[in-house]
Amino acid sequence: MAQAGKGKLNFRCPSCFMRDLDIDMFYDKDKKEYYCMRCQYVGTEEDVLEKNEMVRFRYKDMYKRFTKFDFD
Amino acid sequence: MDKFIVNIIHRPEMVPEYAEKVTGHGKEENIGRKSLLTESLDIFKFQQETAHKNGLKTTIQMTYASLFNEEAISIAKEHHEKYGDEIALSLLGLPCEEFREKYKTKDFCIWMFSMEDKKSIVDDVFGKFHDIFGFYPESTGSYYMDAELVNYIKEKYPMVKCAVATCWEEGPKAYHTCNNSWYTLMDGGPWNPWIPSKQNIHAPAANEAEDSGIVAIPHLSRDLLACYDGNGSNFGTHPQNVLRGMIYDTKTWEFPYLYNLIDQYRDLEKYNNGYAYNMMFVGPGWLNKMGRWEAPYELLKKSYEDGMAYYGQLKKEGKLTDMTMAEFADYFRQKKTYTEPECALWRDILYGSDKQLFWYCDPYMRACINMNQGGAIVDLRPYAAKLKWEVGIGTPHVQDASYPFLIQEKYRAGYFTHYAGEGTVRSAKLTYNGEEVDLCLCRTHAKFSEEVIENGKKKRILTLEPVDIEFYDLTVKLQTRVIFTEGSSDIEMERTVLSMSNPDAVVDLNEYIVACYGTTEYPEDMTSLTLTCKGKGEEKKIDYAYKCREAEIEGADSVEAVIPPIETKVSMRTSDEKATGYIREGYAFSPMFTLGYKMTLKDKEVVSTWLKLEKAN
Repeated sequence: MAQAGKGKLNFRCPSCFMRDLDIDMFYDKDKKEYYCMRCQYVGTEEDVLEKNEMVRFRYKDMYKRFTKFDFD
Repeated sequence: MDKFIVNIIHRPEMVPEYAEKVTGHGKEENIGRKSLLTESLDIFKFQQETAHKNGLKTTIQMTYASLFNEEAISIAKEHHEKYGDEIALSLLGLPCEEFREKYKTKDFCIWMFSMEDKKSIVDDVFGKFHDIFGFYPESTGSYYMDAELVNYIKEKYPMVKCAVATCWEEGPKAYHTCNNSWYTLMDGGPWNPWIPSKQNIHAPAANEAEDSGIVAIPHLSRDLLACYDGNGSNFGTHPQNVLRGMIYDTKTWEFPYLYNLIDQYRDLEKYNNGYAYNMMFVGPGWLNKMGRWEAPYELLKKSYEDGMAYYGQLKKEGKLTDMTMAEFADYFRQKKTYTEPECALWRDILYGSDKQLFWYCDPYMRACINMNQGGAIVDLRPYAAKLKWEVGIGTPHVQDASYPFLIQEKYRAGYFTHYAGEGTVRSAKLTYNGEEVDLCLCRTHAKFSEEVIENGKKKRILTLEPVDIEFYDLTVKLQTRVIFTEGSSDIEMERTVLSMSNPDAVVDLNEYIVACYGTTEYPEDMTSLTLTCKGKGEEKKIDYAYKCREAEIEGADSVEAVIPPIETKVSMRTSDEKATGYIREGYAFSPMFTLGYKMTLKDKEVVSTWLKLEKAN
């Protein structure tokens, strides 16, 4: 089995991102999957992108444009 | 008078942070790689072009490495002539072959070097800058500049008037986010420009004698709620930080959050005599052609162009003034007095919580009032102590540059703790017939107002919307005002009983502060602390020994704690002369101390309690 390397982008681990950790994942070309060195997350690119959408759950106002910053 | 000022800063960093490590993966380290140098310069050119395209002038912070690059020098000279850009000098971007050969180290953060090396590096880079441009720079900076470094620079190069001196709440949270490998530990400073004191860079100068001689600006304008809670590097006026936080639509590549953040900063003029400020400073490593994390280069580029276009649009609409750092320093000196505080009533613009915080910063303190916790103080830095805190190799704080806290709700809990002990907070409890309610559980909002007192000074008043405290058979409508008096180190908390469902009822009020000291999540040794309760002709004292002791005096004049490791004295007094003052020692599982007053409260009564911060020699 060959050594892992960087994928086409250096995706971070979505599981670690959820706990405020930025950990670059490495790409295992034999298994065609990204894996996290710190935790146990492994996933295909498709899975990483899907989980990245999920981590945005906390940004409820991500699409909102505010015009007012105080409360009446 | 309303003015929103932006400083756009670029640095030609020949070996961008991250770039060698991230994009150079799989190659032997070589910071002289031609491809790396070419790409770095291309990014700098793109940034400059984007600013100018939008009619914005910049401050070009030359790095040490760029002083060896003819093209970078020539661009700086040309843009100074053509666009009025300032040619300044950054103490970031030190790494290059010449630096490593000379200093025999891979260290790159100026504040972490020994004082001897700091002086030598400063003389080296300032000297080289002078050789090339024929003058010394008026602006400089790094992620952090310790007071000793600034004092040296000011003494040797008195023309320096502005510096990027800290990055707001970049501390243990940023360290954690980087898997404990990014050593920028500099919590506890101001979020907007200030005149730093000679004693401690975080603490604003109280007068001319304390004035370091420069105007300090923060590295980026950061979200005053999101950065306090999470990774600071996701929530600033740095478009690629917003991408790092994944705060964008992956289909449309839109990120309204960045504009909300800029606009909320613009809105702060309401609390600061018509002045508001923004700073954008994106290092080239964030725009590299290989993309960054999940974002391809095209998105990185678009985000920078969009961010700059927004500033450009505001300028065209007459809503923004672009300045160089040196121009800004002149403006700020003319506008701001030493005692005028910086205020920010800040709302959540990302999570949909409607939470609201009030940040206050002056020469005596930095405080955060949390309206989601009934107006409790959830962060408190005693600048009154003007603590001498040298950093770098050869000092007790090689990396830790944070200004110590007395209260920090994230590192020392707050109202909520796990099963035992107490967390740091300044709040109040009401009790009635055996039931107890802490104001931390009363979610509310506040309005800001000012009241002129004397010599042009003002009180800044935070008036909270009244809250209902519901006991089994009594409802109390209570209003809190938090009052900061300019030039004083007191924080007044005024409680007014607006109504009671039973007008004859009497409730007990306990005004308290639970505090400790520290700069990180971990507890410090409390054994040098002393707690004192002072009455008329009577005094009770506890030398801290983790013994869970308590003492009180009826009608106490003050309750006090002296914290020698941070040379700080914190005390409380109240307007109710009959109130019982108390002091409480903690224990090993709760290494805190408590100061407080217990009193009674009837319908329509008003009572004030003052928290005071002083230097303890």
